[in-house]
Amino acid sequence: MPNAVAIKVLVVDDQNSVRQMTRMTLEEIGFRHIHEAENGVQAMETASLQPLDLIISDYNMPEMDGLGLLRAVRGHPVVRKVPFILLTGRGDRELVVKAAQAGVNNYLVKPFTAAILREKIEQVMGKLS
Amino acid sequence: MASLDQLKQTFFDECDEALQQIEAGLTDIREGQQSDDTVNAVFRGVHSVKGGAGIFGFEALVGFAHVFETLLDGVRRGSLKATSDTLDVLLSASDVLSDLVQMSRAGKPIAAGFGNEVRTALQQIIDGDKGGAAAAEDDNSPAPADFDGLDFKPVPVNFDDDASVADAMRSYAITFRPKAEMLKKANEPLYLIRELRKLGELELVAQTGEMPALSEMEPDRPYIWWTGMLQSSAPRAKIDEVFEFVVGDCDLEIVETNAAPAAELVEIADAPPTAPQEPSAPLPPRAASVAPVAAPAAEHPETASGGRTMAAKPAATTTRIELERIDRVVNMVGELVISQAMLGQIVQDLPEGTSGRLAQILEEVIHHTRELKDSVMSMRAQPVSSVFQRMPRLVRELSTKTEKKVRLEMVGETTEVDRSIIERLGDPLTHIIRNSVDHGIELPADRLAAGKNEEGTIRLSAEHRGGRIVIQITDDGAGINSERVLKKAREKGLVSADATLSEDEIANLIMLAGFSTAETVSDISGRGVGMDVVRSNIQDIGGRISVKSDRGRGMTIQLALPLTLAVMDGMVIKVGKQTYVMPLSAIVECLRPARTDISNLIGTRGMLQLRGDFVQLVHLGDLLDISSAAGDGGESDVIMTDAGEGARFGLVVDELCGHQQVVIKSIEESYGSVPGIAAATILGNGRVAFILDVEKLNDLAVSSPVGAGIQTKAAPVAKVA
Repeated sequence: MPNAVAIKVLVVDDQNSVRQMTRMTLEEIGFRHIHEAENGVQAMETASLQPLDLIISDYNMPEMDGLGLLRAVRGHPVVRKVPFILLTGRGDRELVVKAAQAGVNNYLVKPFTAAILREKIEQVMGKLS
Repeated sequence: MASLDQLKQTFFDECDEALQQIEAGLTDIREGQQSDDTVNAVFRGVHSVKGGAGIFGFEALVGFAHVFETLLDGVRRGSLKATSDTLDVLLSASDVLSDLVQMSRAGKPIAAGFGNEVRTALQQIIDGDKGGAAAAEDDNSPAPADFDGLDFKPVPVNFDDDASVADAMRSYAITFRPKAEMLKKANEPLYLIRELRKLGELELVAQTGEMPALSEMEPDRPYIWWTGMLQSSAPRAKIDEVFEFVVGDCDLEIVETNAAPAAELVEIADAPPTAPQEPSAPLPPRAASVAPVAAPAAEHPETASGGRTMAAKPAATTTRIELERIDRVVNMVGELVISQAMLGQIVQDLPEGTSGRLAQILEEVIHHTRELKDSVMSMRAQPVSSVFQRMPRLVRELSTKTEKKVRLEMVGETTEVDRSIIERLGDPLTHIIRNSVDHGIELPADRLAAGKNEEGTIRLSAEHRGGRIVIQITDDGAGINSERVLKKAREKGLVSADATLSEDEIANLIMLAGFSTAETVSDISGRGVGMDVVRSNIQDIGGRISVKSDRGRGMTIQLALPLTLAVMDGMVIKVGKQTYVMPLSAIVECLRPARTDISNLIGTRGMLQLRGDFVQLVHLGDLLDISSAAGDGGESDVIMTDAGEGARFGLVVDELCGHQQVVIKSIEESYGSVPGIAAATILGNGRVAFILDVEKLNDLAVSSPVGAGIQTKAAPVAKVA
């Protein structure tokens, strides 16, 4: 049973407010190791500098979007196995299909509550202790 | 940690940025610069507003943004054409979105039907796209958490596969011995050791036994090698990856031990270096392949350029700082400049021979202070686009209201200027542009009759010029009716009946206090606030405003503003017993002409022949009415000044004391505006000196012999509250 405290998670979103909100929600669930990145390029840099256990990324970002990041992660020798949860807007069904093909672990529709976020993470990581 | 309120604040700040992006993008598209990038940028802007609004619970904002976004998505995919009608709707939508953001920010209740007109228009275009069959979505329904019927199963992680989640600590014994090839390929052992250290607790011992005497040392050969232990939770592969690029160019041995005794380790270390492939702990295929790893890639130029998408340059990172904190630094830099000037004074007064080293160091301090000042100022600097971006909407609304066709061109939006100036630029610009649309640009029919394009153009530009920022608002409208303006000015007693004025002087009359602009007060401009208020606003921030009119062809209003309100470079000068500071930006050159270079012409205090040109000499003592030791200009110091727009004159002073940075202290609050004096400062000796206003000095010089100028009348403008 993974312990939320020990999981190193990377939150990727170009909007600072949304990123902070996601961080707050993660902290509410019990996460303590939370890294942030503003876009896919930064995310890959962050991922290459330290071990990560989970990536939660928005879709719509400049430089490299969420789908681009997912593909970069899956094609990367070191981080390719890091679980990936994609944040989408409602109605973005097509995107979820594409993300599933690219190997996403789960998706999450914004806005979300702490309970839904936890559920989505647990579906990937197993029950959190 | 940030509170929810702070996050909302951040969100609204982001909205402002997004709204600017939306507006700028849509304007570009309308100007015919449509590309995938612009459409995407606009889409992303709306999407950000929607996403954040959803998270922070601004439902009205979400609903509207959603319809907006849907239409943009159609344009993005190419199923909808961005016709000019569609663009008009999109631009109105950006206005409504902006209003909704402002209302949400202010916490005002949003009326149920707000923006419905535009929303319906958006929806109609979307429905048209779908052949009219699709019904409008009910956008106020709560978002579904999942997509019904979508075949998606979360993919759980298999932890046995890769020990990615917290794992037991392992120990690795490492022997690392670089070969000369490794150094030749510019691989730095230190970087690798740093990378290793990131993985866990690293204890390395440098083996220096092979170091030759200095005289025998070859610079491109490695003599040092390392042995040690790494305690890490990282899997073996992670450690191999660190050495991935140097595998063939070093002797490497990595042995996973469970707390191997130190003695054993030394034995391994002492063993003679083996062939590179031999230290057999076989490399997993993943690490052995050539695929570069991101972290070391930065240190390997040859792989960094290997065409990988993620090797792109990092995005500029920003941080938000309260303005108050920056201002505190600005103030401290100001005080530092004064202290430094005082120190300079002391060093200068020291006896010859004792000050050498001190003066040298002071020189460095001055250099650093200047850089510090520039850096702090650049922190406060903002592109003028934050003000300019408000103008397209204004023009759009006004042109609808007045039934005129107006196009707004903007140039130089990225020009940066101090924040305090930006903040006070909005109102004057708004007013000037209102005037241009309302009074300047003619009705389409009149324009056609005058042989012009029925669409009028207003051009808003910003640029740095001679240490100032110059903002110009040019329209191709009717210009100023000089007879009417002059007649009115005479009626009001602002100009004496017999004064003869040039076209430009007449144009500038509209900025005099008490000169009401329009005969009929229209709904748009002329709300009791005239150009005189605009002028005093601009003067308050040390700026200058001038009007040029070309009857029938249009007019130009030019604002020349200082870049900052805090510190400037100045030349300290003396006249009689008084010390003044002259802005360095206004000085073209300083010289000491020979008496033979000066000719006396009637009505002047001398003309200086300078490289074939004649330049009028003006005695600063005369202008300021103080007795001066300077004669007719020969053998005394002359400062060639540039008062802008080619107005040049030589200012005769008694002494040039040197160049210095000065902190500007406003005197207007205490003394009102004094012609010729811009502000005051504190000098190195602790005394107060006035900073000269060169442009006003020019006016004084020009108007003093004739006396009939409008400037003297305009000078004592009372502040309009």
